[in-house]
Amino acid sequence: MIRHLFTLIWNRKRSNFLLISEILLSFFVLFAVSSLLVSSYYNYRQPAGFAYDNVWEVNVSPSQDTASRKEMLQLMLQRLQATPGVVAVTRTSSNTPFSFSSMNTNEFYYQKKQGPLTDRYDADDEMQKVLRQNVVAGRWFERRDDASTRRPVVVNQEFAKALFGSEPAVGKVLSNDKGIESWQVVGVIDAYRRGSDFDGNNPAVFERHVLEGADRFDPNDRPNLLVRVQAGSGAVLEQRLVKEIQDVTKGWHATVTTLDESRHDKMKIVLTPLIALGVVSLFLIVNVALGLFGVLWYNINQRRAEIGLRRALGATGAGIGGQFLGEMLVVTTLGVLAGVILAAQFPLLGVFGVPTTVYVLAILLAAVLIYVLTAICAFQPSRIAAGIQPAVSLREE
Amino acid sequence: METTLTPAPAASAPASLKTTPMLQLRDIEKVYQTDTIETVALNRVNLTINKGEFVSIMGPSGCGKSTLLSLMGLLDEPTGGVIEIDGRAVTSYSDKELARVRNHKIGFIFQSFHLINDLSVLDNVELPLLYRAGLSSKERRQRAQQALERVGLSARTRHFPSQLSGGQRQRVAIARALAGAPEIILADEPTGNLDSVMGEEIMELLLSLNRDQGTTVVMVTHDENMAHKTERLIRFFDGSQVS
Repeated sequence: MIRHLFTLIWNRKRSNFLLISEILLSFFVLFAVSSLLVSSYYNYRQPAGFAYDNVWEVNVSPSQDTASRKEMLQLMLQRLQATPGVVAVTRTSSNTPFSFSSMNTNEFYYQKKQGPLTDRYDADDEMQKVLRQNVVAGRWFERRDDASTRRPVVVNQEFAKALFGSEPAVGKVLSNDKGIESWQVVGVIDAYRRGSDFDGNNPAVFERHVLEGADRFDPNDRPNLLVRVQAGSGAVLEQRLVKEIQDVTKGWHATVTTLDESRHDKMKIVLTPLIALGVVSLFLIVNVALGLFGVLWYNINQRRAEIGLRRALGATGAGIGGQFLGEMLVVTTLGVLAGVILAAQFPLLGVFGVPTTVYVLAILLAAVLIYVLTAICAFQPSRIAAGIQPAVSLREE
Repeated sequence: METTLTPAPAASAPASLKTTPMLQLRDIEKVYQTDTIETVALNRVNLTINKGEFVSIMGPSGCGKSTLLSLMGLLDEPTGGVIEIDGRAVTSYSDKELARVRNHKIGFIFQSFHLINDLSVLDNVELPLLYRAGLSSKERRQRAQQALERVGLSARTRHFPSQLSGGQRQRVAIARALAGAPEIILADEPTGNLDSVMGEEIMELLLSLNRDQGTTVVMVTHDENMAHKTERLIRFFDGSQVS
């Protein structure tokens, strides 16, 4: 019977072509949405690479007066550090965890090999105490790095893998595009997914900067501070920190937000387009389903005489229903096969740098959804076909 | 055009068989009912068709001939009465049991051939065997091929129905009916869509099947000439047998 179904569908290839194309397109829509969902879920399950609980972000808006700003900043950091309830304070670039700010570069070279597009962060010796990144090789920045002739950097494993392969990263010297050796790797952390829970572990480099040195921490910049506080700290400490800042700086404005709040806000913003895309996809799929339903309904009405004939020749009502369902599944298989061949190019060509596992899962998910969709669409028309009275349908032609 | 009929391999039915009932209808009634109208298609029909008989049924349009044939072929259920095939009452059979009886015992030939245009001649003839358990693909092919040889169309196996003449199409339909080796063939105006020459050919083919194979044939026809070639002629009028 399966051979018979394939023969029938092959001989009706022209009329089935549109149906197969529709299934192929639906498969692709589902594959795209599935890839996004699976990728997001895959990332969600990965470790963030840092601890955001009990970490507050303090945004300070300095006054117009730039005199003594550097000294004021140093004093402010010292006062915050000394505040009871504060565990550690770090000053970093504006691309703090869960913020919309980002800094990336592909200026890093190793032995003339260009590194990947890399997220770049300014960091000081205290950052690891605040964010608790997991150092898997080497160390975090220390005071002794003041004596270093090259700027110390800590990289994540994704960056190390991309530029050094299986070689150990610690001690490697990075140069710029002119071959000037400017950075030295002192440590490797496992991951740093600071964008949102759904972001991947992009290559990342932390450059050491200290306020005392002549470096990128421009005292005229808006200071971005991250403060680790003791668990259970609340509004009292928050007011205290703001007051300390205002006391030291004579009127600088400061706002405090927890990283946990920022994470939730960012998640909402990231989820909104995902949900919108899901709704649009659902709308498309419902349209496809209605289309399939209509085509199948029409097919059955066109084939009433054939149904009557098959019943006369010995088919049961259930057999007729099964045949129509089987035909639809064969047509679906042809569409899905074509879709899988095309979709398989994504992991084979490494498109978007998404892990192969994500694409494989997305292909499987899309295939299962398409089969479920077509089975649902074919079910009712097949039931109708099964219920057609042979004597009536044979007389209709 | 192929007109040669291959001689049938089996001997003709013994005369004693022609007294054994193949198909019996007892007090058969068929009423079509809508919300407002009740139409009596068949009214208390009693009929016995013996094994090896060739019976023709005649009557004006709307007299119930085709309804009778549908009931004989178990394609429809009577409103009342009993149908027996080979001595067994089939009126209470399940859909599955009825399908099995249709597949094993009955062959159908229709006025409009009812071939599936997207299947080759061989695939069309093989169709009833698809619904028969226990046959291998090779056996099915062989039996379909043999049936086509018997109707003289062995050279047209790969053709499609649209590539054949009306007479050839009806031969394919006959081959399809023969492929399952049924005990009874029900033919609904098999020559109705054919010219007189083709009609004669098809009639000869049915007669030779009955004569040489002993296959029971029940044929509905409007053609007096064709009807007079059969052993028995039954006339219907207004849902009742009149002769």
